[in-house]
Amino acid sequence: MSHGILEREARVVLALGRRALTVQFRRAQLLMPTFVLPLMLLAVISSGTSAAVDLRGFPDVASYLAFMVPGTVVQGTILAGLTAGIALASDIEFGFFDRLLAAPVKRTSLVLGRLCGTLGLAILQSSFFLLVALAFGARYPGGAGAAVAAVAIAAITAVGVGGIAAAIALRTGSLALLQSLFPFMFVLLFTAPAFFPRELLAPVLRDFSVLNPLTYVVEGIRALLNGDAGLGDPALGLLAACLLAVCTTALSTGALQQRLRRT
Amino acid sequence: MSLAPGSPPAVEAHALVREYKGGIRAVDGLDLQVAAGEIYGFLGPNGAGKTTVVRILTTLLRPTSGDALVGGRSVVRDGDAVRRLIGVALQEAAIDPLMTGRELLRMQGALHGLRSKQARERGQNLLERVGLTEAGDRRVGGYSGGMRRRLDLALALVHRPQVLFLDEPTTGLDPTSRAALWREVRALNDEGTTVFLTTQYLEEAEQLADRVGIIARGRLVVEGSPTALKAQVGPPTIHVELADAEGAQRARSALRGLGALEPAGAGGDIHVQLRTTAGKAAIAPVIRALDEHGVQVESVEVQMPSLDDVFMAVTGATLEGASSNDGSPSSGDHVGEAVPASRAPEATTAR
Repeated sequence: MSHGILEREARVVLALGRRALTVQFRRAQLLMPTFVLPLMLLAVISSGTSAAVDLRGFPDVASYLAFMVPGTVVQGTILAGLTAGIALASDIEFGFFDRLLAAPVKRTSLVLGRLCGTLGLAILQSSFFLLVALAFGARYPGGAGAAVAAVAIAAITAVGVGGIAAAIALRTGSLALLQSLFPFMFVLLFTAPAFFPRELLAPVLRDFSVLNPLTYVVEGIRALLNGDAGLGDPALGLLAACLLAVCTTALSTGALQQRLRRT
Repeated sequence: MSLAPGSPPAVEAHALVREYKGGIRAVDGLDLQVAAGEIYGFLGPNGAGKTTVVRILTTLLRPTSGDALVGGRSVVRDGDAVRRLIGVALQEAAIDPLMTGRELLRMQGALHGLRSKQARERGQNLLERVGLTEAGDRRVGGYSGGMRRRLDLALALVHRPQVLFLDEPTTGLDPTSRAALWREVRALNDEGTTVFLTTQYLEEAEQLADRVGIIARGRLVVEGSPTALKAQVGPPTIHVELADAEGAQRARSALRGLGALEPAGAGGDIHVQLRTTAGKAAIAPVIRALDEHGVQVESVEVQMPSLDDVFMAVTGATLEGASSNDGSPSSGDHVGEAVPASRAPEATTAR
């Protein structure tokens, strides 16, 4: 692909990303779950389970809230990804996607544009969560650089989840189906050590958490924020996020090609 | 921007077939050709296959068999090149209600390869062109149906397409908005844009199209200029409404020799119908003849054959609801009301 074409497609991806982000902030039903719900869950869990730090096996952390925040951040990434699928299904159902398909752009750019919006949303969302938690007493011994790295891992993870949601949207074109996937978000979340260390999970969940890529993401972010390599491996978290993003982006691009062949 | 003379037709379809699940053939061996610079009206009732054809021609749908070329490029093998040549305004203006008109135009510009500054300037020009400058920064959700259609048209024009596909562009619009859109379509065509227009409104096809193709059950059943098609159906009919039934016999005697008298339709003895190739030119002789025979006349009307008559002639059915949606009651030239034959000649100012 020539430089000119690449530049042109990059403009398309950015334009679609900007549109995705703009619409996200203008649609209250998408804004509420992505920004408010994770914070509510954080407030409930952190106030109700703070005694967990006294449990044997709970790591020695400077701030209980800082231990919990990675779970909130990852929950946000799942929701950001899921809303990408919902918005895409909505575009398909209401015909806006046809407008995009009628334009002379690479089909891949249509998927990447949507995921670019998800990336932007996850950066804003994760930063917002970290700042709100900071205001409520969370401390990040890892420092500002580690916080930026944590936001980056979270954003890549959101792209990964968005890729799955986009693939489902493209495969089914069903807005209702995407909306019905919300409860499964909690399955993903609670089969990762989002709010408790892996050692304190029930054996079945602990076995499953090994297979859940979000486990490595949440532990990596936790290690970064707490400045404690014993809590996780940031490199492994980044690798898991990148693998997830690459695989699911390919999956959604494939779903689009398949959709175009079907029509 | 039009295709150069001698270049391939703007649109051509060869043995185009589109079959849906269950073996339903929405398009059944369609052949058509649209010359560059033409406004082609694609007419048919709901479910005739119009939208399916447009979706194939705009690369949104693959044909089951056959092929179509737009600007000489195959919609099957060279979709990307086709997409560069065309502008599309689909049946239901699929416009994100949460975005403003200006934002949508900028995005559309980016989709067509314009740089940010170019897209901004082009967007501004188009907003002015379609009369949406003031509404440009408002969210589309607050636009009226007519405003949405005009924005949809502007979006289709961002990249100055050679061929513009308009799928039922005025469905649901009030007469004023419809007329405004027609003016814009004519202006675009004057600038050289080929327009492929689907509609179920007879008046729209008559007003805009250089040629009309009528589709029924996925097949093109007849094609030609509206005038030629209507001429094929037969000569115009002059309807005479008499002041009273007593004059019917005298009226029929008076008009014999001016054309072919038809049996009176609904309304019985006070109506006399005469088919004549002279059309409007026959009005004066008709009124004179009636006057000479002392026949009192309520009204005289020339009824030109309509595209609905054409459709009826070729399919045996009418374009359901078309005339009621038209906003135009008939294509007839109505000459006065309660006009006594003795005063009528100077009142024959038809359309």
